[in-house]
Amino acid sequence: MPEIIIDNVRYEYEQPGKVLQFMLDQGLDLPYFCYHPSMSIPANCRQCLVKAGTPIVDRETGKPELDEDGNPKIRYFPKFMTACSLDMSDGMVVHTHVTSEEVRRAQADNLELILINHPLDCPICDQAGECPLQILTYKYGPEGSRFEHKKVHKPKRIQLGPRVVLDAERCINCTRCTRFTEEISKSNQLTIVARGDKNYPMTAPGETFDDPYSLNTVDICPVGALTSADFRFKARVWEMAQTPSIDITNGKGCNVDLWTRDNLVLRITPRYNKEINDHWMPDEGRMAYRQMNENRVSKPEIKLSASEHSKTSWNNALMTFVEQIEAHKPEEILVIGSPHAPVEDNFLLQQFFNKLGVSDTLFSPHITPGKGDDFLITDDEAPNTNGCRMLGLGEIDKKKLEAELKSDKYKMVVILTDDLFGRYEIEPSITEGKFTLTFATNYNATTKAADLIIPVTCSAEHTGSYVSVDGRIQRTLPAKETLYSNRRLNLEMSLSRLDHFGTKFDNWVSDRNRIDCIPAWEFLVRTAYEMNLKLGFESSREIMAKISDELPALNGVTYERMDEERGIQLDLKQIPAENVS
Amino acid sequence: MADTYEFSKEELEQIEKIKSKYPEVQSAVMPVLWLAQDKFGHVDSDVQKLVADTLGLPRAHVHGVATFYTQYYKEKMGKYVLDVCGSFSCQVCGAQEIIRHLEEKLGIKEGETTEDGMFSIREVECLGACGYAPMLQVTNDKYVNHLTKEKIDKLIEDLKAGKEPEFESMPVVYHQTSDS
Repeated sequence: MPEIIIDNVRYEYEQPGKVLQFMLDQGLDLPYFCYHPSMSIPANCRQCLVKAGTPIVDRETGKPELDEDGNPKIRYFPKFMTACSLDMSDGMVVHTHVTSEEVRRAQADNLELILINHPLDCPICDQAGECPLQILTYKYGPEGSRFEHKKVHKPKRIQLGPRVVLDAERCINCTRCTRFTEEISKSNQLTIVARGDKNYPMTAPGETFDDPYSLNTVDICPVGALTSADFRFKARVWEMAQTPSIDITNGKGCNVDLWTRDNLVLRITPRYNKEINDHWMPDEGRMAYRQMNENRVSKPEIKLSASEHSKTSWNNALMTFVEQIEAHKPEEILVIGSPHAPVEDNFLLQQFFNKLGVSDTLFSPHITPGKGDDFLITDDEAPNTNGCRMLGLGEIDKKKLEAELKSDKYKMVVILTDDLFGRYEIEPSITEGKFTLTFATNYNATTKAADLIIPVTCSAEHTGSYVSVDGRIQRTLPAKETLYSNRRLNLEMSLSRLDHFGTKFDNWVSDRNRIDCIPAWEFLVRTAYEMNLKLGFESSREIMAKISDELPALNGVTYERMDEERGIQLDLKQIPAENVS
Repeated sequence: MADTYEFSKEELEQIEKIKSKYPEVQSAVMPVLWLAQDKFGHVDSDVQKLVADTLGLPRAHVHGVATFYTQYYKEKMGKYVLDVCGSFSCQVCGAQEIIRHLEEKLGIKEGETTEDGMFSIREVECLGACGYAPMLQVTNDKYVNHLTKEKIDKLIEDLKAGKEPEFESMPVVYHQTSDS
């Protein structure tokens, strides 16, 4: 097998590739700014310089020339090479900053050059704390600068587009953002203008950077030049806790991280998953943090009049639910699951009402034809349409749904977290004379129409599995505490430094951000207990174990496997296709 | 004044010819920008847009190319743009005095254009004619070398009369985009 010697250590490699990527794969450290594994390699930041050479081969014999000690003689390239663009070859010798003083100097000098015009505004810069320039300067940079003149000033606070703000002074012209719009999102909206020390990324005159993937440029920007208009100045990155989750605004199931502080989700960023979203996610998914924080239903509510609801106790809510179920025959109850709710909640809803004798659980897919693109935005606006199909929920469209809601057959309607009234623009009067219960995370048109609202956890508060349009099952982890969960006790939740070292009496802590809600399955389990139905589950993990036992399509699916394999690809053939009845 | 810019049929044919010279359309950006600047006198954002749309390239790309080179004028300039070299050799031979003299004579500052739209003065980086320092270039074209105040006065008079300076040194390869 071909081999390469990096800092006097021998590594074997199978696939041809570049030195920098190989080193990163081996867990070795080398500073770089412009290189990104998913994009082309311009080698323009010059930070990954290494001293490299190849063995001298005797042309006649074809064998490497040996020195007195029997080691192959190395001919070094006359100048340092950029490791990001240097192809590995058999016998190549690479010296990085670990073994070469020259390389150490080159890296420090390069950083000194990059920093000449870079403002020293880290204390007010959003990127501080997760800034490659800051980190690499600490690790490899010079101690101070020899530059004694005025820095070049460039435009600041330019609103490039609706979601991205540019600070041109911080830019180091790595061209990651322009390459992103050229190669990944293909909108070609950004370019580097001017030259020399005056250049920075910009749109064409009169154009705005309204790319539906524009915020990815903020993620890949190695400095604070591109910042998110929305997240700007909201929080320091080291104050937030980071929790792996998935995007719930469309059917693709992009892997994301939720960043929380004081139980508010402050931003959502993509998390690498080669199988789904690589390093990217659509801008729309990042805005989902608002629905996790704002306009939440906290504590059950009961309808007083057409326009008024009143908060009520959990006990009252539960007993009302039980009373209503007992007052109606099973065939009088209309049960509607939700493509917005996880597999576990839909499964338990189905099981619960099955036990009561309700034969069908329905759901209505949230699909907007033409909304998607070929990349990460899908027509499907719900994260779990395939999960509902897999459970065998009956698929109904708007017309059918309205007919069912109108029908005199039913006296009671149960809706799992899905704003059916809002997204189909159904008049609330349609369910007049029927008892309507909805599980809800946020206030919407459906809660307005409901007689009883059960507040339930959203994807940022519970553990739930979702099946993407491509048939990949993945789960979320709780990122926000509810009134009934605790970061320190729930080992699945992450702790930021503030969470870890703070107390609940600190002035940055507010209990208002904890929502009085429980997972939908938990409410059903409690009701089942009250009604002496056999439906005991302690956690969504247990429910998933039960589902994987019962459904052949989900055989062998566990949370552990989902975590380890970054989601499990299910057999799409086992998922019933669209079957609008 | 909202100008609308358009290429004539002949120019479009010429652009096709330029495109056919290169394997990629991107390579045609610079010659077509020259063509546009020859025609319109500048390549402001509207002209850049026209070039991009004519070539079927992203507007941002053409904007990036146009802003990279100072020889493309991103705004309306005088009929004669006097690019005075301000780099080292010219500077030590008195480029600053030349610029000051020009400023006084034309009543404008460096970087400005006279009201009648005849002259613009710019201080530019090295034009590669250090042997003739101090020197200037007239509208991306002829070099005027070994500048003195008298020579400047004469140049301005000549240009006002519509008489362009002669080549003084070696012939400059014309930037024309046609095959000639």
